[in-house]
Amino acid sequence: MPYRVVHYINQFFGQVGGEDKADTKPFVKEGVIGPGMAFKGALGKDATIVATVVCGDGYFNENMDTAEQELLSMIKSYSPDILIAGPAFNAGRYGVACGAICAAVGGKLGIPVVTGMYPENPGADMYKKNCYIVKTSNSAAGMRKAVPLMAKLALKLLNGEPVASPDEDQYIARGIRKNVFKEELGAKRAVDMLIAKLGDKEFTTEYPMPAFDRVTPNPPIKDMSKAKIALVTSGGIVPKGNPDKIESSSASKYGRYSLAGVDDLTADSHETAHGGYDPVYANEDPNRVLPVDVMRDLEKEGVIGELYDHYYATVGNGTSVANAKKYAQSIAKDLIADGVQAVILTST
Amino acid sequence: MDLEIQKRVMDMADKYGPENVIVILGGAEAEAAGLAAETVSNGDPTYAGPLAGVSLGLAVYHIVEPEVKAEIDPEVYDKEVGMMEMVLDVDEICNEVKPIREQYSKY
Repeated sequence: MPYRVVHYINQFFGQVGGEDKADTKPFVKEGVIGPGMAFKGALGKDATIVATVVCGDGYFNENMDTAEQELLSMIKSYSPDILIAGPAFNAGRYGVACGAICAAVGGKLGIPVVTGMYPENPGADMYKKNCYIVKTSNSAAGMRKAVPLMAKLALKLLNGEPVASPDEDQYIARGIRKNVFKEELGAKRAVDMLIAKLGDKEFTTEYPMPAFDRVTPNPPIKDMSKAKIALVTSGGIVPKGNPDKIESSSASKYGRYSLAGVDDLTADSHETAHGGYDPVYANEDPNRVLPVDVMRDLEKEGVIGELYDHYYATVGNGTSVANAKKYAQSIAKDLIADGVQAVILTST
Repeated sequence: MDLEIQKRVMDMADKYGPENVIVILGGAEAEAAGLAAETVSNGDPTYAGPLAGVSLGLAVYHIVEPEVKAEIDPEVYDKEVGMMEMVLDVDEICNEVKPIREQYSKY
């Protein structure tokens, strides 16, 4: 018995129409449509596309929850062994739909899922953790290349064969760490890499750095003597006793504390909750991390207009980028509402 | 190639017989011309349109290819195509379309 495959595509590849048909509601057809023909050839005798599920990109993205439910029950009714979605190339909404439906099917039906996208498709970043996303070119011209790669990975998953590295199987790295044995010790490999780097030779890192987004700085403040400045720290300075119980590592929250009438932080009034550095000097004089004393001086000297009467603190020790972003967005909202023009952000 | 146009090409091939239809392309980019040529000869390589999996085998040329140019009154050609011929990368387009024609066109 060949494996049962359900294929998900959008209205365009489903041959319903282009942008004017993007509001197409989910429907299912037994057998293959469009790119399914190419998959049929690439999958061979071991797997059969039993049904193709089609949904308009606009409809999916505007009704994500309901569309996902509708599609999920359609897919489930064919009891597939695997879901193949797309490929979506660089079509943003299609990519998000492919990723979301793969994540839902993988999570709720517990079957393997494979999709394909151009690495810059927004869906790739959103869903690379949830499913295998084969790297494709940015337009449908790359269909012929994408399909065999996706089919090969799908067959591997169906047959329970181990999936190779992202480079080898040409999917977008999922952020999964796997222990492997190497012939040579880490120290030797590191030195070899360093020598190659110094000699301008090629080497492959074993620990690629994540791509951090760059933030364009705001224009400078024209007149500091009229500006309201706030202090925000990831160095964990909290009122003595840590009233909000901010965790010493992987903080799940931040605190907002009054500076009204405070000219100086002392060992009696404040301390650090941070567990990632030697707290002795911060506890001795918390101004070393949150420079309230200096800010008050600058305020008196008229260098700055005023110091905002609250400060925000969290512990930036093992805090995820996603959480840090969330805290920052919420803090920034308060600060803007209170007319703060600039922030001095201190770490440890 | 646009879904609507794929449908029209398919209908015309059906109406007049594929041996009586030649497709002349005018696209400005080699890659796009190649995709269009493949669509009307071997089938839609993007598997998006009505010609997905349909090999019409039509003869297909780009307007800047020498075979087409030779068939047209030089004065008319110069007036209608001359300008674009100067701007486009004619060699690249020919190198893209010709091998596809040779491989997939049946007529």
